[in-house]
Amino acid sequence: MQISPTRFAVHPSSGVPIYRQLIEQVLALIVSGQVKPGDMLPSVREMGSALGVNMMTVSKAYARLEADGVVERARGRGMLIAEQTPQGSVASRLAEFQPVLEQAVIRGRQLGLSDRQIKEMLQELLKAN
Amino acid sequence: MSGNAVIRTENLRKSFGNTAVLNGVNLEIQEGQIVGLLGSNGSGKTTLLKCLLGLLRTDSGIAQLLGEPSWDLTAAAKENLGYVPQEVVLMPWMTVGDTASYTGAFYEHWQPKRVERLLTQGGIDSKKSVGELSVGQRQKLASILAMGHDPRLLILDEPVASLDPVARRQFLQELIDLAQDEQHTVLFSTHITSDVERVASHVAILVDGQVEYFGELDELKDRIKRVRLTLRNSSPESLRCPEAIRSVVDGNHWLLSIDQTRVDIQTLSERYDADVRVEDLNLEEIFIELCGQEAVASVSHEEPEASLT
Repeated sequence: MQISPTRFAVHPSSGVPIYRQLIEQVLALIVSGQVKPGDMLPSVREMGSALGVNMMTVSKAYARLEADGVVERARGRGMLIAEQTPQGSVASRLAEFQPVLEQAVIRGRQLGLSDRQIKEMLQELLKAN
Repeated sequence: MSGNAVIRTENLRKSFGNTAVLNGVNLEIQEGQIVGLLGSNGSGKTTLLKCLLGLLRTDSGIAQLLGEPSWDLTAAAKENLGYVPQEVVLMPWMTVGDTASYTGAFYEHWQPKRVERLLTQGGIDSKKSVGELSVGQRQKLASILAMGHDPRLLILDEPVASLDPVARRQFLQELIDLAQDEQHTVLFSTHITSDVERVASHVAILVDGQVEYFGELDELKDRIKRVRLTLRNSSPESLRCPEAIRSVVDGNHWLLSIDQTRVDIQTLSERYDADVRVEDLNLEEIFIELCGQEAVASVSHEEPEASLT
């Protein structure tokens, strides 16, 4: 499948550089199963044109994704979503995950939820996804 | 590095009477870069552009364009150059179409079809006389004329100041399309930081007649961060970070703006036993951090040292 540039939206005035926004969005599409290995990203030109951003920014995002093994360059065709294998050690992936969960726990406490209620919801979410 | 430098200045200085406007500008812009030139009012943006173009004679230092000294540009260099000044001067009695052919007559590689397409796209009627156009339309026309000979280097002094949002977006899109083959170079001055964020690959920030920062926009955003430290133990008097761009202490909260290449956040948090929150800054916020130091300092009683180069 050819991924349409309309699937992406960048906010130039965010503090997050545009290339990192694009990387995040590609990863989000993959994780949520909206794109599959073998699907093709828009060409750099198409993407830059559609989003109205500098082509070099798009190239940079693609190059980083390629270096991380998220996408593969298919000769003469463009960038394909690669088969995903987890990157880095378990410890480093856990370290990356921790702050996300921490935020959720803090929010749960703010809402006055008990530890049991939080754990139950987490388990349900794990089952559902 | 200087292999493909399209613009190069070295210790460029320019004064008007006793007022020094440029105090040693060092800048090197490579082919294919789209550079947004930012600076507060009176920081010397227009003066710098005019010195680069050879419209003003520099007092000292080097100013080169397309490998030639700015003051003695050859016809060949000018053929590869497009420029739109802040205040556009056109003949009000001429029609748009005649203005285009008149301008085209000065250039060997004029592209009338392209100019026609851009005029139609911009909603400018070729049969109208220039005097009938609004300020924004005239600015648009001047920009189109500056691109009519497909220049390798385009220099624009606040090109979008009087354009409406749609026209501004169209114009920026045109810049992106122009530069996408990486053989064209664009330098544009502006106050509108969001435009720079959208199209620029690089940003140059002019403060007090010197280049405070020049580099990739992404790198700038990755470097400059706002850090909020909440101290668990140590007393606030002992807090020190001379490398910070800005530092404000309020009770056990410490607000810092830092350049990550100069200050390590992890070290800071360990030294002072503090919880840390790091915030990303957009270009406008970074610009204010870098240029608004004096204003901020008077409020915060801190000594803001540290400059970026």
